[in-house]
Amino acid sequence: MTEQIKSIIKDIRIDQVTEATRALEAAARLTGLDDASKTELAAGLAALFYHDLHGKTGLIRLASQAEDIIASLGTAVLPFLIGELALADAESAAHFGRVIARSKAAAVKPVMDAINSHRGDDYAMMNLIATISCFKDPAALEAIPEILVASKGKNERLRAEALYAAGRLVRNLGSDRFDDTLRLKMFDTCFEALKDKNPLVRRNAVASLGKIAEKGMLTPDQERKVRDKFKGLLGIDGAHNWDNAYIVRQQAQQFFKFLKEDGKAHNRYHQTFRILEKRELCPDTYYYSIDAPLIAHKLVAGQFIIIRANEHGERIPLSIAGWDAEKGTINVIIMSAGRSSREINMMNVGDRLADVVGPLGQHSHVKKHDGVCVVIGGGYGTGAVLPTARALKKAGNKVYGIVGARNEKLLIMEDELKQVCDEVLVTTNDGTKGIQGFVTHAMEAIMKRGEKISHVLAIGPVPMMMAVANMTKPLGIETFVSLNAIMVDGTGMCGACRVSVGGKTKFACFHGPDFNGHEVDFDQLMKRQKMFVAKEKLALEAMGK
Amino acid sequence: MADLNSKERMAIPFVHMPLNPGEKRIHNFLEVPIGYTAEQAMQEARRCIQCKKPGCIGGCPVGINIPAFLELIEDGKFAEAAKKIRETNFLPAACGRVCPQDKQCQAVCVVGKKSDPVGIGNLERFAADWERTHGTFTAPVIPAPTGKRVAVIGSGPAGLTAAYELRMRGHEVIVFEAFHRGGGVMVYGIPRFRLPLEIIDEDIKMLENMGVQFVYDMIIGNVLSLDDLLVTEKFDALFIGTGAGLPKMLGIPGENSNGVYSANEYLTRIYLMQANDFPRYITPIEQGKRVGVIGAGNTAMDTLRTAKRMGSDVTCYYRRTRDEAPARTEEVEHAEQEFLNWKWLHNPVEIIADANNNVKAIKCEKMKLSEPDSSGRRKPVGTGEFVTDEIDTIVFSLGCDVNPIIPATDKEIRINKWGIVMVDRETNMTTKEKVFAGGDVVTGGSTVILAMGQAKTAALNMHKYLVGEIKWDVSKIPTDPNAPGIVWEGKNK
Ligand SMILES: Cc1cc2nc3c(=O)[nH]c(=O)nc-3n(C[C@H](O)[C@H](O)[C@H](O)COP(=O)(O)OP(=O)(O)OC[C@H]3O[C@@H](n4cnc5c(N)ncnc54)[C@H](O)[C@@H]3O)c2cc1C
Ligand SMILES: Cc1cc2nc3c(=O)[nH]c(=O)nc-3n(C[C@H](O)[C@H](O)[C@H](O)COP(=O)(O)OP(=O)(O)OC[C@H]3O[C@@H](n4cnc5c(N)ncnc54)[C@H](O)[C@@H]3O)c2cc1C
Ligand code: SF4
Ligand code: FES
Repeated sequence: MTEQIKSIIKDIRIDQVTEATRALEAAARLTGLDDASKTELAAGLAALFYHDLHGKTGLIRLASQAEDIIASLGTAVLPFLIGELALADAESAAHFGRVIARSKAAAVKPVMDAINSHRGDDYAMMNLIATISCFKDPAALEAIPEILVASKGKNERLRAEALYAAGRLVRNLGSDRFDDTLRLKMFDTCFEALKDKNPLVRRNAVASLGKIAEKGMLTPDQERKVRDKFKGLLGIDGAHNWDNAYIVRQQAQQFFKFLKEDGKAHNRYHQTFRILEKRELCPDTYYYSIDAPLIAHKLVAGQFIIIRANEHGERIPLSIAGWDAEKGTINVIIMSAGRSSREINMMNVGDRLADVVGPLGQHSHVKKHDGVCVVIGGGYGTGAVLPTARALKKAGNKVYGIVGARNEKLLIMEDELKQVCDEVLVTTNDGTKGIQGFVTHAMEAIMKRGEKISHVLAIGPVPMMMAVANMTKPLGIETFVSLNAIMVDGTGMCGACRVSVGGKTKFACFHGPDFNGHEVDFDQLMKRQKMFVAKEKLALEAMGK
Repeated sequence: MADLNSKERMAIPFVHMPLNPGEKRIHNFLEVPIGYTAEQAMQEARRCIQCKKPGCIGGCPVGINIPAFLELIEDGKFAEAAKKIRETNFLPAACGRVCPQDKQCQAVCVVGKKSDPVGIGNLERFAADWERTHGTFTAPVIPAPTGKRVAVIGSGPAGLTAAYELRMRGHEVIVFEAFHRGGGVMVYGIPRFRLPLEIIDEDIKMLENMGVQFVYDMIIGNVLSLDDLLVTEKFDALFIGTGAGLPKMLGIPGENSNGVYSANEYLTRIYLMQANDFPRYITPIEQGKRVGVIGAGNTAMDTLRTAKRMGSDVTCYYRRTRDEAPARTEEVEHAEQEFLNWKWLHNPVEIIADANNNVKAIKCEKMKLSEPDSSGRRKPVGTGEFVTDEIDTIVFSLGCDVNPIIPATDKEIRINKWGIVMVDRETNMTTKEKVFAGGDVVTGGSTVILAMGQAKTAALNMHKYLVGEIKWDVSKIPTDPNAPGIVWEGKNK
């Protein structure tokens, strides 16, 4: 053992903030350790986990620093950590568990091995199962059979721990990972456990079923069963034999909302509107995949949807960046503008949007042209032109894509567009990537090559669409723009989305959203978009209050 | 008391509905009429002379047995009275509040010949409210399943009634609604101070308890087409009750200025999206100090009174006079108690906006009424004199055209030149086999009770069709694109 490690261990044992801080700083500086020394160091630092930290705020902070340092030592210290975990008291076990979980996939097998070798040692099993349920790695799925066995064991605390772990894995791994057989097993086990005589076990069974419901993993039949059962537990089924343990009722109350589905009936026309995927494209701009099978089945390029995030929310229109009819998903790109878009951008995978309505609006204009087609996207519009670009390509056209952004960092969806178009030109205002300037410069570049442009679709900020239309008008190039007027219902019922096209009033939601760019009164559109700015500011300020 | 003779009964004065006072109610969205007490209700019911051949029943579009329920109220049997009404009308609380009784049952009531007619609407409302607050309602028994599945499109009064009638005959019913909640215009048009939300929700809950399934956020035509419903989803019959949803504007210059709304947008923002509770609900509404409402129908009255409650100085612009106003008399009277300004004989000709496109003034031509023409109608004619009023917000309340989504997505559905869905007047069959229609979509805009009446007819015929009693027959459906919709009551009357 090196002198350094020895002195670190000594400092830690003193159990005082100053010394421990010094020890952790020294430990963080150590490099080039072999596996044995790593384990020694880990053991030394882990002494902090065993201290009675109650009320000692300084040391609590240090304990979590120690977790970081031990985690940075890598997989070499796993055997030590797992060994300790099996023996540790509940509080220390939480520290060990967290560190182990940070090794992700690499730690799954060692923990599983430990589970296999500790079978019969209920105490060790509790800690090991609790730990493995913290994993977000799909490999942790292997532990589920073991967990289900444990949840039927003799020891009440182990049963409770195992049921809790089952639910946590559902939350951590997401519904995709569970196949039908596994789902059925989980359901049966948890449902059976609702009869347990121990209230803690019942509570955790309720929590697990709740999480399974939350992730949309119940069949309609199972869902009805659970709903009826929860009603019984809560005493709202009129039978007056509710669960006598408050903790059970309280937990049922918490998860009941996932079974009620906001009171909406469940049948084959029910769509969960759950967020299945979320990805940051650039700051404040996210890509989402949303569960909406019926809508996905009917979408055609050019159409849009309307989303309401929650019961207090506003209906906001969004373009479609793609869909998968088979998987039943639709994709949108949302840029944080004001309150509503921000509220959605704060939601995560697994969350449900209150409403998704669509498909709305008319199809985009797709046919075979003599010359080439150009699709131009700025901001969220880069995603919005994708479906039409694909359709134009499919109709036998040569399709150019143009993506414009202020700088390289704000460029999005370039690769996706490349997969669809024959060629993609990039423009940035500051020249950090591609052509310096505006999307119109890229148009000029295409024309300079001697290409004849027959059709242009531009989607993005109004000034961009206007610039494109102004450029193509004298050249007589057919140009469509997608008008992002303020909307409410999106079905032609309210007239909020009135736009002037060719001197006539049109409803952007019903007659559009795509219109002949040469006829659009852009000036009026821009002014109408500002109709609610004062209120929008207030809404944003009130956010989170 | 049942021993009163007709003369004594007719001598009892009308029991006026107690109202929240105008100066208070313009600051809130609480219901304006407070409702009868039990004593008041019994007293008013006593005024009915129990005619041998009651005219009122025929005056009711759904044929409620009015004298029977009035007698039950007179005897203090309120729960039974409500039950009696429910035999023919399953939305009594809503109808008691919003039906134009002055043009229906009360218009023909014999007591009305000498004094005020019996307050049938007030009493209907009383019985329904009593049932709701005392929880005496018992869900009806549903007959054995017939094995037939029907889809109802739209959850306004027409759709809800069709759902109820079909479910009561044992069919499986699924209601598809485009919005996120049910009720149609009763939710997003008719104001809360006339029809509280709980009432509609209660009725929808009852349907759910009867096993009717509701699917929201589902635009039929766009998500599932009529053919999808019939072919892939295997519904045995469909009912279209999608209402009149396309707002009318005047087509005058400046209509697209910021601050100009259609009544649909204005009322939807407030009542469906709850913009009056901004920013708790985050849908905004921008309304200035001076609001002008154009029109004088029911919708205009609702808009005027809503705008007042939102805290502005509100003026009604109408090109005829008060006497020609198409709104229900009671609505005009209630509106007149609410400190509004009235500019009769003013015809808007232009909206003037500032450089930012915000409304700043409205220009109107002063009108006068012509001598009565052959039909006795006095037309408004221009005087050539113009006035310009400064104004910040304008709401067009001119009524609606029919919702175009379904006819636009299914060419087999025949419509006339105003977009009204053409149906057989007796059976409510459309030109597409297995598809029936009712409500505003076949009239071009009428009333809750007429929509319900048609839905009842349609549902009855759907049932007959489903069990094979009648055959599909489109021979009597008008082919002339100028043919009107099926009933025109309530329009410009
Ligand atoms: C057909 C169409 C497609 C659209 N596609 C997308 C998309 O794919 N991705 C995306 O991020 N955005 C898209 N938008 C714009 C998006 O709807 C607005 O950014 C969003 O409504 C802003 O709401 P907010 O509360 O976050 O911002 P707010 O603070 O309310 O408003 C910011 C600005 O957004 C606009 N806006 C506000 N409310 C609405 C409304 N109800 N309808 C339309 N515009 C509104 C106004 O110009 C406003 O000044 C689209 C708009 C339309 C009409
Ligand atoms: C402001 C206002 C005040 C009124 N006041 C009164 C009054 O006091 N008394 C009175 O009797 N009448 C009144 N009326 C008229 C009355 O509300 C209507 O006549 C009645 O609601 C018509 O019923 P409906 O079921 O035919 O249509 P609606 O109530 O319009 O319902 C149609 C439903 O269908 C839905 N829908 C539309 N298209 C689709 C689709 N493609 N897929 C799925 N769903 C769809 C709509 O969202 C809506 O919910 C008023 C109307 C308004 C606008
Ligand atoms: S017409 Fe009038 S008086 Fe006669 S039964 Fe009807 S409500 Fe009574
Ligand atoms: S959004 Fe209401 S009509 Fe277009």
